[in-house]
Amino acid sequence: MAGNQPKVRVEHLTKKFGDLLVLDDLNFEVEEGEFLCIVGPTGCGKTTFLNSLTRLYEPTAGDILVNGIPVDPKKQNISYIFQEYSSFPWLTVEQNIRFGLEIKRIPAAEADANVEEMLEVVGLTRFRNYYPRQLSISMLQRVAIARAFATKPELLLMDEPYGQLDIDLRFKLEDELLKLWRRTGTTVLFITHNIEEAVYLSQKIMVLTNKPTSVKTVLDNPLPLPRDVVSADFVALRNKVTDLIKWW
Amino acid sequence: MNGTKRRVAYGMLGIFIFLCIWHAAATLTNLGRIMPDPVTVFVRFFMAFIEPIGTKTMLFHILTSLRRMLIPYTLGGLAGVFMGVLMGWYRICDAAFMPYIQMLRPIPPIAWIPLSIVWFGFAEGSKYFLIFLACFFTIALTTCDGVHSVDETLVRAARMLGARDRQLFTTIVLPTTVPYIFSGLQVALGSAWATIVAAEMIRSSEGVGWLIVSGQDVGNMTQIMVGIVAIALTGLLITSMMRGVEARLCAWTIRGK
Repeated sequence: MAGNQPKVRVEHLTKKFGDLLVLDDLNFEVEEGEFLCIVGPTGCGKTTFLNSLTRLYEPTAGDILVNGIPVDPKKQNISYIFQEYSSFPWLTVEQNIRFGLEIKRIPAAEADANVEEMLEVVGLTRFRNYYPRQLSISMLQRVAIARAFATKPELLLMDEPYGQLDIDLRFKLEDELLKLWRRTGTTVLFITHNIEEAVYLSQKIMVLTNKPTSVKTVLDNPLPLPRDVVSADFVALRNKVTDLIKWW
Repeated sequence: MNGTKRRVAYGMLGIFIFLCIWHAAATLTNLGRIMPDPVTVFVRFFMAFIEPIGTKTMLFHILTSLRRMLIPYTLGGLAGVFMGVLMGWYRICDAAFMPYIQMLRPIPPIAWIPLSIVWFGFAEGSKYFLIFLACFFTIALTTCDGVHSVDETLVRAARMLGARDRQLFTTIVLPTTVPYIFSGLQVALGSAWATIVAAEMIRSSEGVGWLIVSGQDVGNMTQIMVGIVAIALTGLLITSMMRGVEARLCAWTIRGK
């Protein structure tokens, strides 16, 4: 630990649904400001893992500490970006981005400034008064990202947020995400089944095993940013991760 | 906007053609013996704003009926929304009350007339009761549906942004439910207004329903038609006003657009 307290510390996290053991004694730490990608074979319980991490599910055993305190979204500043599109249909783009700030009762002046900044970063200033049904899919996911970053979260959890996007949009939004991450210094946990995406984004890659899920290994990703998906180093790391999740 | 104008124009044309056919039928065929022609009806209708029918002018009849409808409609709306939210939010309320609502709802309000007279007398109370029944159940059911339709993903999203239970209710459940409440209010407004005739069959001496009931008593066909026209035109006016309010409050839905 070298004196510094880790941002997130997971100890013996276990989740059972009845007799079905889904998460089997997970232990790991995430440092402040780190971008961790979590990959694993399909159906390995990645989403259960994130949902336990945020207490949407109560874990069967184990502790999840953020800054040394048991995790609670009501007390800690955590944001979550879902696989599904989760913008509030009755709010405009601007009001959606402001939502978390109002829940947390951030003073109006500060909230205004955050919202403006986020609108600009994700390029939706012109669409601020649009309702979600008037937006395209990639714009909706940008609203979700802006909403998540607007509260300046200490910890951002992303559950395959780009899983349903086509490839050029995914690259664009991944670059936007990296830009935001570097700008805010947020700690990010990013779940994906897409190994290329994991290698492109992460500083560390955590590989999960098949069910019951445990941590197989954690790899460092030292490739310099911005990354080139066809460079030899990139391909080598991608293949290494692919070999690790192969279950066949 | 052009589309709206065209819609209105076609609507007007349709009504005009209908009136022409009605007029021709009433003046040129035997139909005239059982039904007055539209010119007579509309002349009498507009004359009634100056010249009283019974002891009162048309405006007074309309306003009286509107008051009779709006008071129980408001109460029924409030009670219905309250009941709907209870049933939607708490499973136990749903289990306890839904059977009653499903049983009582199909009973037409006029079936309650004799009992309502015994319970509330001949004055306004029994009329309010009938109209209350005409709107309460519909609004309770649509509100309940609205609460049930809350999207689980949005609840999770709000929770993750730190929302407490009470905040979840005001920021997620209520906005989801508002369009449902409005469709309930819209339908209920129609049935409440339609029930006015039944309500005014209980002793009354004014109101648009009374125009019809007293027209029947004295065999005045024109007066009956004037009552029907008054109900139709006022109904059109109030439901359009309601749509206007809805379009403002539910601008985000396709329905509101």
